[in-house]
Amino acid sequence: MDLKNLTISQIQELLFSKKVSVVDIVNFYLERIKKLDPQIKAFITITEKEALIQAKNLDDKIKKGDKVGKLAGAVMAVKDIFLTKNIQTTASSQVLKDYLPQYSSTIYQRLIDQDAIIIGKTNTDPFAFGGSTENSGFFTTKNPWNLSKVPGGSSGGSAAAVAADLCQFALGTDTGGSIRLPASLCNISGLKPTYGLNSRYGITAMASSFDCPGVFAKNVEDLALLTQFTAGVDPKDATTIDNPVPNYSELLDKVNLKGLKIGLPKEYFTDPINTEVKTKVLEATKFFESKGATLVDISLPSTKLGIAVYYILVPSEISANMARYDGIRFGRNTDNNPDITSYYMNTRGQYMEAEVKRRILIGTYALSSGYYDAYYTKASKVRTLIKNEFINALKKVDVILAPVSPTTAWDIGAKVNDPLQMYLVDAFTVCTNVAGVPSVALPCGFDNQNLPIGFQLIGNFFEESKILSIAHQYQQFTDYHLQTPNL
Amino acid sequence: MKITPIIGLEVHVELKTKSKMFCSCSAEHFHVDPNTHTCPTCLGLPGALPVPNKTACEWCIKLGLALGCTPNESSFFERKNYFYPDLAKGYQLTQYEKPFVINGKIKIGDQEVRINRAHMEEDTGKSVHIKDNGQELTLIDYNRCGVPLVEIVSEPDITSAQMAKDYLLKMQQIIRYLGISDADIEKGSMRCEPTVNLKIEDNDQVFYTPLVEIKNVASLTGVQTAIDFEIHRQTEAFKQTGEVKSKTNKNTFGWDADKNQTFLQREKEGSSDYRYFPEPDIPHIEFTKEEIEEIRKTIPELPDGKITRYKKDFSLNDYDANLLTSDIDFSKAYELALGQNPDSTFAKFTANLFIGAIKTHLNESQENLNIDKINSIFFKNLFDAVSKSEISSTVAKQVTIESYQTGKDPVEIAKSKGLIQVSDSAEIEKLAIGVISQNSKAVEDYKKNPASIGFLIGKLMQASKGSANPQLAKEILEKLLK
Repeated sequence: MDLKNLTISQIQELLFSKKVSVVDIVNFYLERIKKLDPQIKAFITITEKEALIQAKNLDDKIKKGDKVGKLAGAVMAVKDIFLTKNIQTTASSQVLKDYLPQYSSTIYQRLIDQDAIIIGKTNTDPFAFGGSTENSGFFTTKNPWNLSKVPGGSSGGSAAAVAADLCQFALGTDTGGSIRLPASLCNISGLKPTYGLNSRYGITAMASSFDCPGVFAKNVEDLALLTQFTAGVDPKDATTIDNPVPNYSELLDKVNLKGLKIGLPKEYFTDPINTEVKTKVLEATKFFESKGATLVDISLPSTKLGIAVYYILVPSEISANMARYDGIRFGRNTDNNPDITSYYMNTRGQYMEAEVKRRILIGTYALSSGYYDAYYTKASKVRTLIKNEFINALKKVDVILAPVSPTTAWDIGAKVNDPLQMYLVDAFTVCTNVAGVPSVALPCGFDNQNLPIGFQLIGNFFEESKILSIAHQYQQFTDYHLQTPNL
Repeated sequence: MKITPIIGLEVHVELKTKSKMFCSCSAEHFHVDPNTHTCPTCLGLPGALPVPNKTACEWCIKLGLALGCTPNESSFFERKNYFYPDLAKGYQLTQYEKPFVINGKIKIGDQEVRINRAHMEEDTGKSVHIKDNGQELTLIDYNRCGVPLVEIVSEPDITSAQMAKDYLLKMQQIIRYLGISDADIEKGSMRCEPTVNLKIEDNDQVFYTPLVEIKNVASLTGVQTAIDFEIHRQTEAFKQTGEVKSKTNKNTFGWDADKNQTFLQREKEGSSDYRYFPEPDIPHIEFTKEEIEEIRKTIPELPDGKITRYKKDFSLNDYDANLLTSDIDFSKAYELALGQNPDSTFAKFTANLFIGAIKTHLNESQENLNIDKINSIFFKNLFDAVSKSEISSTVAKQVTIESYQTGKDPVEIAKSKGLIQVSDSAEIEKLAIGVISQNSKAVEDYKKNPASIGFLIGKLMQASKGSANPQLAKEILEKLLK
C-alpha cells in the first residue's frame, strides 16, 4: 500500500481500519530513508531497531485490543539536540559524538508516551548554532526541493526529513527562527510556540531565555494535534507556565476570518526581502482579505535592532551554557594533558566547531567586566522595547502576518564564509524570540526556481490556538502545503 | 603607632533541607558513597535544568529576618562563571545584585556588627587528590554539588580575633535556634572566610594595609589563630615595606592549621572576572509581604530575647541566663521544667539544677539532651522538699540526675536511698560527737582557725550520707567545740 505523503490522521485511519500495521508504516519510512537519505542527509542516527521494537509492541497492543496512545502510528524524527535515553545524541557536534544520554527530554518522552515512534535523530547546526546545517560537525543536509540548496536551519535535518516524507512529523527548536526558517525553505508547517509553553528539559541549551522547542508537520492540523501533547507545565523546567492546555485540534475552526484584523509590519516587507518572496506573501494577505479580514499597516520600529540584540544576548547565554562541555563527566576528551587548564583548552579546542567557539568568544566578551553594561545591559533594555512593541501592536490587531525568510533557499556554501550574512537570514524571525511570542510558519508558494516560500502568523503570548486556527483555515483553501518535492 | 584590625567575615552555611537547591536529590553528603546522590541537574548533564528549592529560599529569608535584615521585593539568581572540575555546570548559581535579604546586624556584647547581606547559592562538589600506583589522580564526588548554601556577609566592623570568634558563635547559635543547619564548622556545614587588614595611625597619618582574604579555616580556634597571625604578619609587613591597600592588591591567603600560619594562595584578586549575569533558567522570585510575615512567624524567640526575659522575669544573672540559652533545646527543656508562671525563686532553683546537674551530666556522658525526660512536677516536688529542708541542695543535684536517667520522682529517690535531710538535733549531735573523736587533728586546726570548720562539716555530711542539714550541723559542731 502506498503510504506516501500522509498526515497523522490519514495514517491512523489506515491503521485502525487494519489496512496497515505499525510495522508496515515504520518499514515504509525506513525504506524511504534508506533510498533517499544518502542524498538528503537529514539523519545522523537512524533508530531502526528501536522503531521496529516499538512498532511490534504497538501492533501487539492493537491486536489484543489494549488502549493505545493518541499518536499511535505517527512516526517522528527528532532533532539531535533532544536527549533520547540510550540513543546517541550528538547535538551535531564532535563534542558529543557517541554520547548516550541517561535520560530523555520531557517533550520527546511525552510524545513517546502517546505511542509516537522515533525513526531517527536529525542533523542540525552544532548545538543549533546556525541557520543552514552547514555548521554541523558531521555533514550538511540538502534541501529536498533542490539538493544543491540548504534546507535552512538550524533544525534543517528535521525539516528536510518531513519535506522528503521520511517521517510524518519532527521535533525541532527555534531560538531565532530555527523551526520557521527551515519549514519555510522546505515547504512544510512549523510552530514556534510561546516561550514557556513547551518544556526545554533535556534539550541541550543554546540560549535559555530564547529556546523554544516545537514541531514540524505536513500541515497545521498535525501541528495542533502534536502541540496538544508537547505543551504544558513541566516541574523540571521552572520557566514553563502552568496554564491549562487548550484543545488545539478542536479550536482549529474557531477563529472567524471575517472581521479579523491582520497587521502587516512595514519593517518586514522592505530590504532585505526578495521581490518574489514579497509578492507571494502579499498574495497570502489577499486571501485573508477575500475572506473578510482587514489588513492593517503597522510598524514595529525596533525590528532592525533584533539581530544586534540577539547576537549579544544569545552568545552571552551560550558562553555559560557551553561551559559544562569540559570532557570531565561526559563527552569526548583529550589525553596527556599536563594540567587541568590544558585539559580544558585541548578538549574544547579540539572538538568544538568554529561557530561554537565564535559564539562562546562573543558571549564571553559581552559579559566581561567593563563591557557588560555597554552590551548585555543595553541589549536587555532593547529586548524589553521589542517585546513592548509586539504587545502594543497586538492590542491594535488580532494577528501579525509577515514573511519568514527574506529569500528562498540559497546555494550550499554561499554564506559559510560570511557569518554576518548568515546571521541576517533570521532578520524576520529573531524578534519573536526576543519577545517570546508564538509564531506559525506555513507555505504560500514557490519562486521561479520552484523553491518554496513561506509566511508566518505571529500571535500574542499563549495564543497558539488563534494562530493555528487562522493558518489551518488558509490551508483549507490552498494547496501549497500539499506540494512535494520530486525525489 | 596605633593599630586597629578591620575584619569582615563571609560565612557559608549549608542548609539541612531534605533535597538539594536545584534538584530533588538528597542533600545529605556526609559519609555517603561518592556520587550516589546525583542526577542530571546536579551533574550538569546536557539539557538538565535547575528548579529552585522553595524551602531553602524561605530559610534564607528566615535567617535574614532573624538577623534584622530587610527582604528584597524581587530577587533573582545569577550565574557566576568559572572553570573547576568540581563545578559541574561551569558556573555557580548565586545571587549578586539582588540577594534575598540585606542590611541586618548582630550584637556581640555591647558592640554591633552590621550584616551587608545574606544570599542563596549552591555548593560545589568535592575534589579528592590521591596517589594510585604512583599515579596522581583527582577524583570528584558530586554528592555535595548543589547542596543549598546561604552566604552571610558582614561589614568590616569586627576589630579583634576574639570578636570574630564571638560573632561566629553567635551566628552559629542563631542558625541552630532557627533549625536550618547544623552549622558545624568541623564538619564543614559552616565555613568562614575572614578578610583582614589594618588601620595604622602613626604621627597623625593613617594607613590601611592591603586586604587579605583567608581561606581553608576549618575550626573556631583556627579562625582566631589565623586572624591573630594575619594581624601580626601585616603589622610586620607594613613596618618592612610600607605597602598600603589599593584597588588591585587584595590577596588570598590559605590557612595552614598544622604550621599555624597563613600562606599566599592567589595574588591580585581584583583581576578575576566571574561574568555574572541573571540566570535565565529561573524566573525572578518574589515573596509577598504576607509570605514574609508567615516566614517571620516561624522564627522562635532568639537568644538575645531569651536572655533579657530570663534576667527580668526570673532574676537570673548574666552567666546563668547565657548558659541556659546557649542551646535552644536546653532552654526549651528548662522552660518545660519551670511549667506555667514560675516564681523567680523556683526559676533560680531550677536553673541551678540545669546548670549544676543536668548540663554537667550531659557533658560528662557526652549524651544529647532528651527533652522527654524533663518533668515539671518532679522539679516542683524537689523544690518544695528543699524549701522545707527535707532535701539538701547537694542531694537535690544528685537525685536530679538519677531522676533524669530513670524517670522517677527525685523526692522518691531521695527517700528510698535514705537521703532525706536530718534536721533532728539529737541525731546530728550523735554524728558530730563521732566526727570530733575521729578527727582530733582537724579539731586542733579549728581551735587555731575557726574558718577551717568546713572540713569537719564535710566529714559530718559524709557520715550522714549527705542527709544532714548542713546549717544545723555547723551550729551543733560549733556548740560542741566551744
